[in-house]
Amino acid sequence: MRRLIACLFALALAGCATPSNNYDPLESINRPLYTLNKGIDKVALRPLAQTWTTVTPEPVQKGVHNFFENIYDLFAIPAAALQGKFEDAGNGLGRVLLNTTVGLAGLFDVATELEIPKSDEDFGQTLGYWGVPSGPYLMLPGLGPKTVRDSVDSAIYFAAGPTTYLNPESARYVFIGVNAMDKRAQLLPFDKTLAEQYDEYAFVRDTYLQRRWFKVHDGNPPYPLPMGNDDPDGKDPAPAAPKKEQGSQPVKPADPAKPSVKARAEQP
Amino acid sequence: MKSIKFWFVAMSLALVAGSSVAAPADAPEQIVRSVSRDVLEIIRKNDKDSARVRDQVDARVAPLANYNRMTALAVGRHWRNATPEQQQALVREFRQMLVRTYLSALTIYKNARVDVKGSRGGNSSDELDVRTEVFLPGQKPIPLDFSFEKTSAGWKVYDIAVDGISFINNHRNQFNAIVQKEGIDGLIKNLSGRNAAARGNKVASKR
Repeated sequence: MRRLIACLFALALAGCATPSNNYDPLESINRPLYTLNKGIDKVALRPLAQTWTTVTPEPVQKGVHNFFENIYDLFAIPAAALQGKFEDAGNGLGRVLLNTTVGLAGLFDVATELEIPKSDEDFGQTLGYWGVPSGPYLMLPGLGPKTVRDSVDSAIYFAAGPTTYLNPESARYVFIGVNAMDKRAQLLPFDKTLAEQYDEYAFVRDTYLQRRWFKVHDGNPPYPLPMGNDDPDGKDPAPAAPKKEQGSQPVKPADPAKPSVKARAEQP
Repeated sequence: MKSIKFWFVAMSLALVAGSSVAAPADAPEQIVRSVSRDVLEIIRKNDKDSARVRDQVDARVAPLANYNRMTALAVGRHWRNATPEQQQALVREFRQMLVRTYLSALTIYKNARVDVKGSRGGNSSDELDVRTEVFLPGQKPIPLDFSFEKTSAGWKVYDIAVDGISFINNHRNQFNAIVQKEGIDGLIKNLSGRNAAARGNKVASKR
């Protein structure tokens, strides 16, 4: 026990000493978990997804994908409504009603054919909308990148989602497995890009955090996410046009000269 | 994660946006419109030949991209410590990497459409972000933003963000790690090594 505490303490110190990203104080724990996830992916998920995309006819793949998307659409309704985005919530409701009935339990995306827009909302964004900070970046075993705030979304999905209604238990595992396989299949085209990276872990993390920051602000963030890997003394490395990296909008609350304070105040 | 796929588009179009015979006076939005139109046309005409698409698009965008600044921002604080020769080498290898990685993958976007959504001012009147959306049949539109700056030679692109993921920011962290471990020459070697390896592969696979 004492050793564990000592370890955690050392980790915390290490995390503070060289933060390569302001939102990743748990890097020393996350990195091994990323390696673990990579391993699972290599032996199970990726081969499964590859087989799925090569063996199954495309309409079947599409149907399965639509099926899961329809469930995400359902969860996006309250997520949008709780941000006061009632038009999005209404569209979401229309989509789910149509796709579940006419679209045969979501297998066909009739709503998109009818140009009912799909909204990109989840409960992580809802919390972010109300000012809840993201908290530290997490690499969850079997689930991939998340932040503390955004894992709420997965928690709600598992607590209230279709998995709770599935019986027997084996049906639940099939559901989760096929869902994961479909998600992985969507990502197959990026494997090459990922393999090109010098530091895959950092690439995945920085991509994830920036994208979440962008989504919470509905595609219009007030300034770039201060991840902390930019110029520490606040000066632009290229003298051509000074002051680029820090904020591009007047809304910016914090003083750009103090990146560390900012980092704590602002969360993706 | 889905968005990463549009990195390809983004980068390519971005680089594209960097080009064109456009007069220096052209406003960024017009530049984006005309270049994306041209690039999509190149892709449609050569959709079976990705190498040709790459070369033609590269030629189209090169004059509009500020590769120097792009590289400087991606390298971050170590840029100032690099000698002029090192800086030159970094720009050369970085550019080659961009062209190789992103422009070669463009053919999947032959049915894409790019809509300009408007622009947003930066810190000064010399900076402008042009916001666009890329539409592919049956998919959600992908936000694709180009960051322009005004230079003596007209507006130039120095960053591209796909779905909010900035190209520069994403490289900076990794480049930083390499420089800290192996120095600036290490970074140059790393980039040129991968560029050379890719060239080797291509030659090998053609024969």
